[in-house]
Amino acid sequence: MSRGALLFAFNSPKYNYYEMAVVTAKRINHFLGLPVTLVTDSESLPVKQSYQFDNIVIATADKTNKRDWGVWYNKGRYRAYQFSPYDETILLDTDYMVNSDKLLKTFDLPTDFCCHDNTSFLMHPGAAQEMLSVYSFNTLWATVVMFKKTKRAEQIFNCLEMVQNNFEHYANIHGFISATFRNDYGLTLATRIVNGHTTPIEDVIPWNLLHVGKNTSVYRNNNDEYNTEYTVMFDNWQRGKIRKEYINIKDMDFHVMNKENFMELISE
Amino acid sequence: MDTTSLISEAKARFNHNSAKAYLKDKYDSKLIVADQSGLWKADLQTITFLSIMDDNFVILIDTFNNPVQVNRDKLLVLLKETYNQVMLEWYKEWKELESKR
Repeated sequence: MSRGALLFAFNSPKYNYYEMAVVTAKRINHFLGLPVTLVTDSESLPVKQSYQFDNIVIATADKTNKRDWGVWYNKGRYRAYQFSPYDETILLDTDYMVNSDKLLKTFDLPTDFCCHDNTSFLMHPGAAQEMLSVYSFNTLWATVVMFKKTKRAEQIFNCLEMVQNNFEHYANIHGFISATFRNDYGLTLATRIVNGHTTPIEDVIPWNLLHVGKNTSVYRNNNDEYNTEYTVMFDNWQRGKIRKEYINIKDMDFHVMNKENFMELISE
Repeated sequence: MDTTSLISEAKARFNHNSAKAYLKDKYDSKLIVADQSGLWKADLQTITFLSIMDDNFVILIDTFNNPVQVNRDKLLVLLKETYNQVMLEWYKEWKELESKR
């Protein structure tokens, strides 16, 4: 039974996702002891590679998705099932900071597919869960997905392709804006369709996905390559003024939504 | 700039409530264990129930709401070990954070 992690990294004009993937892959090797397969395109791959991935899959990036800050090459995540060489795979966003072996627990869950349905924000306890729209249901998160090579998992990824190709249609049904394709929304819909329009509790990772959200920055406490201690700073707006607040965290995985902050965290 | 200078220059205050919430998030998830085809939380209720029963096998509802027949002793040992280890780490980290101002 082979196990490994899969990362997608297509460099955009603004961000070097390959660089992010290298750091994340090293941390996956170190903390989870798993090999990492990278899905990328030939333009993103540097001539001289400082890190040896277990496998590199060259694919074509779908460059049709746009976001407020520019082009976002996030489409095509449905190919994860096809590209993963492992029997059991953890599919991660490249901006997910692995600081512990916690994700290994997902392999022990009695399911062949799972992802997060609950999030919490560092220094922002009680933040509302995201919904597709006020008339729809809670979003699942594509940031961390564990899947095994089974018929059902394959169906979910095939369905994700179908949802991606018909995103505007689903946006009309569920009342969200379709201008930007989001894997989170696509995965929410695909999982529900395959499971008879329900989300089985077994398909949910039984702990929260920890986000570093807006007005929040994370700083390394030291420059060790595998540092796990951070200071989190939050700009608390009160009566028109910012009050800086902080906490210290350690050995805790988190997802950095602000790419600039993630790039700062991984810079030498 | 190191983080100590950053905190001092920004005149940032340590937020105890956020620190508490972070610890709860972190250690709650560590209390979850998979065993005997079920998913369990090493909490007081489950440990107490397993302790007061005297049958070798009992049927419990796991965190996925499925009834699972388990070897009581085996699960009890695992949950007690998990509970003790996680609570000790939680307590230690909480003591470190509590001393911050």
